[in-house]
Amino acid sequence: MAGKPVRPVNAIDQTRRMLSLVTYLRERPGARIEDVARAFGITEDELVSDLDVLPMCGTSFRGGDLLDIDTDGERIWWHNPAALGADAAEPLRLAADEATALLVAARAVATLPGLRESDRQALLRATAKVETAAGEAAGASSRLSVTFESEGGVFADVDRAIAERRRLWIRYYSPARDEVTEREIDPIRLVSVGHTYVEAWCRRSEARRTFRLDRVAEIKILDEPSAPPEVELRDLSEGLVQSAAEDPEVVVEVGPGGRWVAEYYPHDSADELPDGGLRITLRTPDPASLKRLALRLGRDGRIVEPRELAESARRAAREALEAYDGAGAAG
Amino acid sequence: MAIAKAERLMNLALCLLGTRRPLTKRELRESVEAYLEAGSDDSFNRMFERDKDDLRELGLVIETVENLEGETGYLARRDSNRLPAITLDAEEAAALGLAAKVWQQARLAGAASGALQKLRAAGLPEDVDPYGAHGALEPRIPVHEAAFEPLMLACRDRRPVVFDYRKANAATPEQRHVEPWALECWRGHWYLAGWDRDRGAERVFRLSRITGKVRSRAGRFTVPVPDVVTVRETVASWAGETADRSARIRLRSDAGFPLRAKATSVRELGGGWDELEIPYGHGLDAWLVEFGPDVVVLEPEELRADVVDRLRAVAKG
Repeated sequence: MAGKPVRPVNAIDQTRRMLSLVTYLRERPGARIEDVARAFGITEDELVSDLDVLPMCGTSFRGGDLLDIDTDGERIWWHNPAALGADAAEPLRLAADEATALLVAARAVATLPGLRESDRQALLRATAKVETAAGEAAGASSRLSVTFESEGGVFADVDRAIAERRRLWIRYYSPARDEVTEREIDPIRLVSVGHTYVEAWCRRSEARRTFRLDRVAEIKILDEPSAPPEVELRDLSEGLVQSAAEDPEVVVEVGPGGRWVAEYYPHDSADELPDGGLRITLRTPDPASLKRLALRLGRDGRIVEPRELAESARRAAREALEAYDGAGAAG
Repeated sequence: MAIAKAERLMNLALCLLGTRRPLTKRELRESVEAYLEAGSDDSFNRMFERDKDDLRELGLVIETVENLEGETGYLARRDSNRLPAITLDAEEAAALGLAAKVWQQARLAGAASGALQKLRAAGLPEDVDPYGAHGALEPRIPVHEAAFEPLMLACRDRRPVVFDYRKANAATPEQRHVEPWALECWRGHWYLAGWDRDRGAERVFRLSRITGKVRSRAGRFTVPVPDVVTVRETVASWAGETADRSARIRLRSDAGFPLRAKATSVRELGGGWDELEIPYGHGLDAWLVEFGPDVVVLEPEELRADVVDRLRAVAKG
């Protein structure tokens, strides 16, 4: 019995995979399920569901030359590899989307400033070879490009500290408080999602924290070994900022000029307002950090809740106006 | 039970790849079980056309040949479908393995692993992962915008598109007719560069501001696509990074680290204040207001007035 595939079955992806599998298995009688799944970057259940379909395939279902492929649960056996002509199981050329997906990603990764030079060279060589092999299919890949942003020097230090398992000292800017603090961190991994971040165990707060590299004002690799506690790595595909249900709620109402807030701040809901604006509800463990947003919005929006946050922004604005001769009174 | 689509596509692919002579639609219908079960001619024809398109998306080159009786035949020749010889060493293989994992968009993630699987079938080395040594680097390309996939296909196929676009400060979206050239991801957001037919000029669009569906338009591009399409420069100027003037501000000594990082000069004033000279580009007023009472604009007068204006709006609540 096939297990349930973890990802939803996509007929196109599965067909593509099965065409490659046929070529791969032909060269490797008795291949282990575990090894093949790893080589193909799929789960064993996904592989087994492919193995359920393959015996229904062939060049003609009437001619009796369906692929006789089966598995004892551990190894895969193909009993009639001659069912496909000698050249009918050769590796297939890359499709335009395949070449684009692989080449654009490879070029993007090669731009990461902190990538080790030997790895970058390997990637560039591989990219050139794939371009050549893809031929015309590589052409469309020039229509997509991705740049990762990261601070070269900081990146290289973090990368080295992770490789050598050493602790880091940083001066880090926190925009929420507009302050620079010093702390020691045990780096766990580097993540690039638009900006580049280091996920680390912060020794000051004794908690896991994510630091954006372009906010690191200063960095030093320390002699002490890094010893982050075993933590489960989060899946970051849903975004780096993951608010919790118990976090306080903030409601912001913006006019048309403040719609960008919904683009930059992860939120629970954004409802259209009659004037072309939005009512945005979001959660944050620290609503005070949004005072900057309230100030920036100006007449393009205002904080509705919590009221203390709205009031603190108003106070800050009044205090700021006092420095401009009488401007406050003129308001 | 209906036969799964993947099984049907696989059978059609193997038939087309396995034949030395073009096979007619009739022959294919008799060779693929799912087509026999398709019922009416109409539903078979529709299914067959869709399947051919799907296989072409997978990269299969399917030729159409007419025989002496005027019947159309199909085949996928080996020599036009074979991957040219490619030899990659273990380090190169590991580097591609990392690259294949960065897409967070289903279609491109599928295509990237498909590419890797084809290379695997062609002998790409396995089980070597120098990144696994510390597994520190995890680049991810985010794609949250619904407009991404249709625009990617339109750029690829050079098809004009139409979509509703809401400019940053506009209350309502406006319809835009665009010849899409290229997509670029910068600081985690996607942008489209192309020819704006309504404006008669090159324009850059932010994908998250496209509302509703992206629809294709018939016909071709009317304007030649430039050899180099630049998106970043345009976006950087929106972000105020192409400042051509400078401003003088007063800043509290312990505040405003990013302002200091950008400053061309910093002078201590005493009494807990510094004076800074900083680049003055688009958006500086909004940024300075964020620092509240820790920043005072000295000049130019225009910037001072903009900041006061914004502060008054907040003060009134």
